[in-house]
This record gives sequence, structure tokens and C-alpha cells, in this order.
Amino acid sequence: MAKTRFDFMGKRKYFFALSGALVALSIVALLFKGLTFGVDFEGGTSMMLTGANDVTTEQVRTALEEAGVPDTANATIQPTDDGSYIVRTAESDTAKAQAAFAQVAESLGLPDQDANVTTIGPGWGKNVTDASLLALVVSLAAILVYISIRFEYKMSFTAVLALLHDMVIVLGVYAISGREVTPNTIAAVLTILGYSLYDTIVVFHRIRENAAGLTKMSFMDMTNESINQVAMRWLNTGLIQVIPVLALLFFGGETLQDFAFAMAIGLIAAAYSTVGLASPLYALWKEREPKFQALKRKYEAQASK
Amino acid sequence: MKFKPTNTLALVALAALLALSAWQFWPIEEKITQGLDIKGGLSVTLTAEPLSGSELTEDTIARVETILVERVNGFGVSEASVQRQGQNAFLIQLPGVQNAEDALKLLGEPGKLEFVDLASVTDTATIDLIGQQLDAEQSGETTSLPKLDEGSYEAFMTGEVITDARVVTDERGNPAVSVEMDQQGSQVWGEVTSRLAATQSQVMIVLDGYAKSAPAVQTAILDGNTLITGSFTVDEAKGLAAVLQSGAMPAQVGIDEARVVGPTLGKESLNQGLIAGLVGVALVALFMIAYYRGLGLVSVVSLLAYGVLMMGTLGILSRMNAFALTLPGIAGLILGIGVAADTSILIFERLKEEIETGKTHRSAAKSAVRHAIMTSIDADVVTLVSAVALYALAIGPVRGFAFTLIIGIVVDLIAALLFTGPVTRMLAEGTMSKAPAFWGVKGGGTRG
Repeated sequence: MAKTRFDFMGKRKYFFALSGALVALSIVALLFKGLTFGVDFEGGTSMMLTGANDVTTEQVRTALEEAGVPDTANATIQPTDDGSYIVRTAESDTAKAQAAFAQVAESLGLPDQDANVTTIGPGWGKNVTDASLLALVVSLAAILVYISIRFEYKMSFTAVLALLHDMVIVLGVYAISGREVTPNTIAAVLTILGYSLYDTIVVFHRIRENAAGLTKMSFMDMTNESINQVAMRWLNTGLIQVIPVLALLFFGGETLQDFAFAMAIGLIAAAYSTVGLASPLYALWKEREPKFQALKRKYEAQASK
Repeated sequence: MKFKPTNTLALVALAALLALSAWQFWPIEEKITQGLDIKGGLSVTLTAEPLSGSELTEDTIARVETILVERVNGFGVSEASVQRQGQNAFLIQLPGVQNAEDALKLLGEPGKLEFVDLASVTDTATIDLIGQQLDAEQSGETTSLPKLDEGSYEAFMTGEVITDARVVTDERGNPAVSVEMDQQGSQVWGEVTSRLAATQSQVMIVLDGYAKSAPAVQTAILDGNTLITGSFTVDEAKGLAAVLQSGAMPAQVGIDEARVVGPTLGKESLNQGLIAGLVGVALVALFMIAYYRGLGLVSVVSLLAYGVLMMGTLGILSRMNAFALTLPGIAGLILGIGVAADTSILIFERLKEEIETGKTHRSAAKSAVRHAIMTSIDADVVTLVSAVALYALAIGPVRGFAFTLIIGIVVDLIAALLFTGPVTRMLAEGTMSKAPAFWGVKGGGTRG
């Protein structure tokens, strides 16, 4: 029960094909369909008008126009179940947006408002992205260094390769589903970074333990054996990571769901890529070392006898 | 790393920490600071861009920060804060502010510092008022000064000439402000002070149309090196220095993002987050008990201990003004549940594995806890490394998220070392072999 018997490494060609297909599909989707960026990246204002049961969408639009909001024809005015409106306009001047909000609420005769207004300048999305890219590069470098020191550089490169694979897939899912990308999405994608290496480290720990004094089987077989030894750990830690994220996806409000969606996909991709990508790539790389080449020849010869 | 099974000691230490934590965070509403997206208020992110023909140095950014702090303090909002984010962004938080218009105008402006001969001000009513209020301020009262009518005063010099302004101590040991000017400024300043020193008239310092200070000129100052003395406290002197520096906001500051959140919406989001968190914990607990049986119960208790320690830490950080719970922070907390349960899984799986090799429960537990915690530390450090990079470099919501995740990882290791590990070892010494089925393990060998 604690140990499974499954030829993970024997299936590596299928895993590689699957990963290749997913990555290719994601890249195609990113290139041709692209990501849908939210108000946070495009710039603009989002405001919430509450207690607007008796107000029509057109009245809101007229009130916006009277308040001097630009391009009201393209403003999205979205009613909610509880008699509120979520209004998104192109206004990117913070002070003007605030004034417009007060004026609209007054001219529609709405009750005293809890102000909920978000204005994003045109530069914000770029600033968030630039800072995130810097954070990404630095954390990848830090992860490479740490794993290289604690384990070895071949492990660090394969782990990081699997990581990049996970991130591309998350972005691909965003491109295909057309879901809005917000700074929260970026945050979630960046967090997957460290968090998804958890199970990779668990598996690599075992591979390293078993690799010491390896003589009885080829490196690839030993890798397979190691994965089987820790399979329940790998599966259960992955599940336990995903469960709270799913709770967040179903019960959290709008902001929290944003995080949860990207995290959920990232975690699932990460669990898969540990076994499907990082481990077999590492084993293939190791088998190029003379010591393990010899082992490989020895046991392949035995198997063919 | 060596583990001595000082189990009882660990549990006693944990009990003490738990009590301390509970005392630090209970009642939650008071002891854990809520962020703006929960409590309601105005949050603004500004970024500094270099002025044309200059570069954005660390020194420039530090000056921009000083100036922003001065402006924010001018709003008179309690618990207002200015926080540096990433390379060149600042997050400004004004809790409770709902009417953001004025605040935004003032924050976004380049800042105009002017020097005015008080005698030249035409609006006499304003002069009287300013006189009274500057007097009141010197006697320690703080009042907000009226905005001067445009055109009612004429500046002989603007703040661009100021090259440096800093707090020093005068010969009597009181805080004072030392000002340096460029050549052009020194010339104008020399002429004006020569004229005013004869009558010891006042020069009014005006920032963004608000009178800030009106020191009397004692002597003619020809080299620009000026010392402003008075009955300042250190903070007042710092404030005045910041005002003087702000004449030349050394970078172009733009508002990138402004969010006003009403208290109702924030409350609602918090509740949704709490529900998601409770559901998450409940599901994780169910899974652990269903799969690991008695050991699952141990991990549920360790999850609770983790939760209490976590809240205690956040309570302490709140009190140090180093933490405010935001929605992304809640997401980080909820992810922490997974991190915490993962450590238990590693311990239990290793334990089962070692028992199957024929070890006794006792020796299996010792070895399992040691190995599992080492694995856990390696896995946690990798998560930690990237969370720290995010916290230090990124801007926007990710920081709150990274912060709670960082704390979560550290607290998880403490809970594993002080609770899950010791309890697993203690159970293995007796109870476990009496009812192996209940604990979800096999009978255990006789060796060892």
C-alpha cells in the first residue's frame, strides 16, 4: 500500500509527448489568441454603484456621460444580483474618476454610497509586469543556486525546466479560456514557482538517497523505483495542496478566486511535471555520465539475455 | 543536524508558545490589523520616474519617499502609511478615507515650494490667520493651515534652488534645519535677507499653496547656507526639512493605481475568505483522518497548533505595525494549510515505510521524523527563497501573499519540530503498537 509498482519511467516517451503537446498548444494559443488583460493592465476605472434597483443601464450611461466620463459608449455597465452595478470606464485620471463617481451617484438619486472605486493609470500594468519579471528572474536564479548547492546542478536545471513548463501551461490555459489576467494572476503564477517545487524536492531527495552507492540497477530504473517509493507522498502532498485552493476557488470572493484559478492549474501541472518531466530528464542526463553508462549497459545486456 | 527525543520539553515549549500566541491575537478583530481592502479606505500606488536628463538613484528615491511621507502626514489620517515597493513604487494607504478626490490631487502633484516675503502678502485676513496659527503651532498645538488664495502672494524664489535641507542641532542643542542653496538661489536669498534682516521681518515658506512656516530673518545670508532655528521638536524639524526638500521633487511621480474600498465590500470579502479557509481546513482534516486514521488526528491537532501560532505571529507583527491582513494575505494563509499538512504527510509516509522494513515503531519513528523534517526543510526553503524574492521585488498584491506564505513556512517548521515530530515519537513508544490498525500502521518488527 505504501509503495506502488508502476513503470513511470517506461512511459516517459508518452509523458514527453504530452508535455510537448501541452506546451506547443499553449504557445500557439498565446501567440495567436493572446491573453485578455483586465482593467488593471489596460488602465481605466471600475466603480460599484449600490442600491440601484430602480435604475436602468441606459440611465447609468447617461449619468456617466453627464459627469464627463470619456468614451461612455464603450463603458461596460454590468448589473449584479443584489441591485448594484459594476461600471468599467476608460477614465484613467484618478481624481476625475472619483469626482465622476460622486456625481453619478447623486444624479441617479442613489442612497448614500459606500465608495468602491478603482482607477488604474496606463503605466500600472507595465510596472507590475516589469517588477514581476525581475522577481521571476531573481527567484529562478536563487532556486537554481539553492538546489545546485543542496543537491546538484543537474537537478536544479531539470527542476526549473519543469517549472517553466508549468508556467507556460498556466498562461496557455488563460489564453485558451479567455479568462482575464489581473495582477493577482501574475502573483499566483509567480508563487507557483516555489510552491510547486515541493513535490519535486521530495522525489529528488529520494533519488539522491538511492543513488548513493548504486550498483544493482540502472539509474533510470532506480529513478523509477524512487518514484514508486514516494508515490503516495507525492500524490497526497499534491492533493493536500490543491484542496484548500479549490475551497478558495469555490467559496472565496472575486479577488481570491483570481488567485485560486491560476494556482489550481499550476499545482496540478506541477505535480504532473515532477514525475513526467523533471525526473526522467534528470535520469536521462545522469545516464550520460560514464559511471551510470556502464550500469546501463550492464543491465540492458542482462535484460536482453 | 541531530535530534534528541526531548519530546516532553518540546511539548511544554509548544504549550507556552500557544498560550503566548492566543494572548497575542485574541480578540482577532482588535489584535490583527486589517488591510485597506478589508477595512475600507483609499490605497494609492505611485511610481517615480526619472526627470528628463537625470537618473533615478537610490538617494533620489529616498527623497521622494520623505516628501510623500510629509504629504501623507498632512492629511491627518491616523494609521496612514507610505511603503516602498519594488524598485521605484510606493504604496500609500489612507484608512477610512472615502472621499479620495483631494487626497489624490495633492499626492499626484509635483509639489511647489515657494518663499514669500510676508510683508508682500496682499490678503491681510489670511496674514492674520496665518500669524495666529503659526503661533498656535509653535506653542505645540497642531492646526491645519488655510490654503492661501492664489494671487494673494508673490514668491521671490521657488524651491528649485534648494540643494539640501537636513535636521541639525543648533548651538543650544535644539533641533534646527540647515538649508543649502545653489548659486542663483544664494544670490536672490542674499538680497532678500539683507533687506529683511534690518527689520527682522518674516519669510513665509509655502508648500503647494499652504503656509508651512514663517521664520524671521536674523541676519543677511550671503552664501546660501541658512539655519532655521526655533522651538522645534525633532519631528517638526524633520517635517520642515522634508517640506524644504520637496520644493524640488527629484523625480516625476505619477499615480498608477488608486482604489477606494467601502467598508461593506471589504467585510464581505473577508467573510468569503474565512468560509473558504474553514472549508479548506475541514476538507484537509477529513482527508488526513480518512487516510492516516489516528495519525491523521495528530496532524489535525498540529494544523490547529499551526493556526494558533500563525495568528499569534501575525498579532505580534500587527502590533509592531509590520503587518496588515489583506485579501491576498488571506490567500497566502489558506495555502499555508497545505504547506502545514504536507509536513505531516512526509513524516507519516516515512514512518509507515520504515515500519515495513521491519523496524520497531520506536526506532522507525525516530528515523522517520528526522528524515522527513530534513526533506521538509529543503522543500520549504525552495518555497521560501521564491517567496522572499517576490516580497522584496514585486509590487502590487503579490507582496501580501508572499508575506503570509513566508510566515506560514517558518511557523510550519516550528509546529513540525515541536509538535508533530515529538508526538509521533511518543505515540510510537507505546500506544501505537497496542492498536496499530487505529494508528494506520502495521504491527512493527521485533528488532531494534
